[in-house]
Amino acid sequence: MGTVPVAPRQTGRAPVETSLVYAHGLAALVTLLLSVTFGIIISIQLWAPDLGAGVPALGWGRLRYAHTQGIMLGWLANAFFAFLYHAVPRLTGRPVTSPGLGRWLFGLWNVAVMGAGWVLVLSGVSQPLEWAEFPPVVDVLVVAGIVLALIQFVPPFFSRGLESLYVSSWYIIGALVFTALAYPMGNIAPELVPGPAGAAFSGLWIHDAVGLFVTPLALAILYFVIPVVTGKPIYSHFLSMLGFWLLFFLYPLNGTHHYVMSVIPMDTQLAAITASALLGLTVILVVANLLLSLHGAGVFPADPGLRFVVMSVIFYLVVSIQGSLQAFMAVNAFVHFTDWVIGHSHLAMLGFASFAAAGALAHAWPHIPGARYNARLVSLAYWLLCAGLLIMVVDLTVAGLMQAQLWQSGAPWTSSLEAARPYWIVRTLSSIPIAAGFIALLAGLLTGPVTRPPAAEMRAAA
Amino acid sequence: MNQPARVLRMSYLVASLAGVGFFVLSVAWLGVWPARRLAEDAKRTGPGHVVALTPSEARGRVIYAREGCAYCHTQQVRFTQADIARFGAPTLAWETRADTPHMMGTRRIGPDLARAGGTRSEDWHLTHLYAPRSVVPASVMPPYRHLFAGGSDAPRQEARDLVAYLETLGRARELAGDEGEARAATVSHTHMEGLTPSPVLNPHPARPRRTGEVPALPANGDRARGEWLYARNCAACHGSTLEGNGPGAGGLTPRPTNLAEHTYTDGRLAQALWNGVSGTAMPAWRDLPLADLGALVEYVRDPRITSQLRHDRTRPAQGELAFGQRVYEANCAQCHGAQGAGDGWAARALAVAPTNFRVQRLWGTAAMRILQTGIEGTMMASWRSRLSGEEMQAVAEYIVQLYRDEQDLRAREGRR
Repeated sequence: MGTVPVAPRQTGRAPVETSLVYAHGLAALVTLLLSVTFGIIISIQLWAPDLGAGVPALGWGRLRYAHTQGIMLGWLANAFFAFLYHAVPRLTGRPVTSPGLGRWLFGLWNVAVMGAGWVLVLSGVSQPLEWAEFPPVVDVLVVAGIVLALIQFVPPFFSRGLESLYVSSWYIIGALVFTALAYPMGNIAPELVPGPAGAAFSGLWIHDAVGLFVTPLALAILYFVIPVVTGKPIYSHFLSMLGFWLLFFLYPLNGTHHYVMSVIPMDTQLAAITASALLGLTVILVVANLLLSLHGAGVFPADPGLRFVVMSVIFYLVVSIQGSLQAFMAVNAFVHFTDWVIGHSHLAMLGFASFAAAGALAHAWPHIPGARYNARLVSLAYWLLCAGLLIMVVDLTVAGLMQAQLWQSGAPWTSSLEAARPYWIVRTLSSIPIAAGFIALLAGLLTGPVTRPPAAEMRAAA
Repeated sequence: MNQPARVLRMSYLVASLAGVGFFVLSVAWLGVWPARRLAEDAKRTGPGHVVALTPSEARGRVIYAREGCAYCHTQQVRFTQADIARFGAPTLAWETRADTPHMMGTRRIGPDLARAGGTRSEDWHLTHLYAPRSVVPASVMPPYRHLFAGGSDAPRQEARDLVAYLETLGRARELAGDEGEARAATVSHTHMEGLTPSPVLNPHPARPRRTGEVPALPANGDRARGEWLYARNCAACHGSTLEGNGPGAGGLTPRPTNLAEHTYTDGRLAQALWNGVSGTAMPAWRDLPLADLGALVEYVRDPRITSQLRHDRTRPAQGELAFGQRVYEANCAQCHGAQGAGDGWAARALAVAPTNFRVQRLWGTAAMRILQTGIEGTMMASWRSRLSGEEMQAVAEYIVQLYRDEQDLRAREGRR
């Protein structure tokens, strides 16, 4: 095999900033539980709309801003940072740039970005742009945070030379570099470019947020955890690299499929729809490589981290095929604007991305000296989350089809609201296992026996 | 350890540069290039000048943005048959060219608002923002009470700004007029193919029209269904007893009609349902199937539910008619018309059309009360200081007998 890297390097251990893994891991779960709370309140408001009436900060719109920004920048970004502190020294054999820098990044991200961002959107300072609701002043801080993350995590990779990087390393570098480019484009450009042209940039960002930030870091986790836990190399280095470059070529070209049948030029829409179809095919290739890399570990492996990761792979396949499908004009004309799409986005962020993030935390936690780890609670979290997500996505998908049908039929608008009500109640009920699952995950990382990392790691950390 | 060939190392470097190139390509292809095309489209199809938002409207837009209105209400009519049928002409590039940031939206829980201007009255909007379910029982919209000082009749400036902004939605296209529509027809958006152009720019089913053809409603509608529909669509304003005192009535000027103190011809009810009542909060109901509108007509004029409420209906004393007619012709005819058909020479200038007494009958005490108090929010003033009690009594008795629905009356007499 020569130097072709087919698994994360397990030799030449470098010191791991385990306290930062721990801090970001807990910050991830705390911001997650807050974001889930926002989500539950707005889900209740759909069938009990007077809840929170008269309290501006409890208005549906403001809470929705806080919900999605919290999921992306609070929960997922913190979990990804925790994973990077765990994985980068293991992938490169070198420490991250600076623990002091890490403390600044942690403080900036959780106090200045999340704290200030939430306070501002809930008090009415925001921008009405999807996945970009934090106001421009916070956007500046986010970009500063991404630059700090680049300084923290990317230099260790260059010590080895690009050609011998494992695929997870490529995804990590790609995610950080492209997010640094895409975030200002998506958050600032629509403030400067008015009208549908601004929407074109918004469309790019809606997809880049998922495709260039969340997806590559989630895939870095999947490609990292699978070979480490199974102890076997990934199925194909070539396929992993082919998938990597195809994804980074195709993801940015998908954006306009969020505005199909709009006034945005038809050629642009068709380009995005074509890219969406090709993206679906690419994901099949990536997922095939990941599943073959399991080498028979099964759909429900015993290791809780790997179990989350395997389910994440499956969600990734389903949500990507669904995404390609709903980009097609005939499907889009029908299901767009309905709860079908809300089901899709939850399958992506709560299914694929959150399962990868939870898998990363469950995988990294036992390697933190002095941390507690309760495998039974983590396992319970897995089953609760699977159940809740399945109920929610099926419920919202059916609700979306029903809404689409009523809108097509020319029925009065309010009939679509009345028909949706039972589905919205079920969706709120589905949040009970989901919230319980995340609480169990947090409890699983705070209780149980004190972990004992392998002796080699202890020496390296000392 | 074997070092890979130099060419392999170079390939990774090239690939890395290409990766950044991919991103630049995506922004150029799907961002910058369509932006230029849209600017050209806007220039070609739009009017030279688009009315800018006033400071109040601009503040309203900021409120709309911060409360997340765009996350339930899109502001784009798509190029699809269903959208065009429900919301009107597809949104063109120039219509929103000044919107910064755009609020096209990706989710509809409530209806699209791209052409919401002119579909509801200001007081309806205020009532709806303060307590949405008081006027739309099935609504799931959150109440925006913090924009008010304690009631829908006490809007803060923020609520007024927001309503001012809502009234601008679709305004630019309306102002562009026939010339604008002629230019819009030249838009060669590929997905226009196969789409039937809408006969009207804004066919919003709730948009009131002063006049307009009313399709024939099926006779003998289903009264039980009418009652069910009334409870869900009408009772919020007109009240469960039809007395114009529903939970949403308080904030509306003119107040919702007390249906119980009137008798209407079927044609009059069909007209009000199909076209709405211009200048009032009564929207049109063209999104309801004709059979449902017929059922509503049947319910609203059914004497069974109103017999108790119409206890004061009395035939006027015939002897006073000649006197009443003289008073009417001197004081009322310029608006209500010589024959009482609501078509006096001054009628066209009034925001709310004067009552046509030939198709709706006001029962005795109600006519007297209105003469004394007038109708707030319309040009119908109080006549207390201008007419004596006898004159008012006489004119009240005169207008009641102007009602002409002989066929209907005979049918009812026969039924009794």
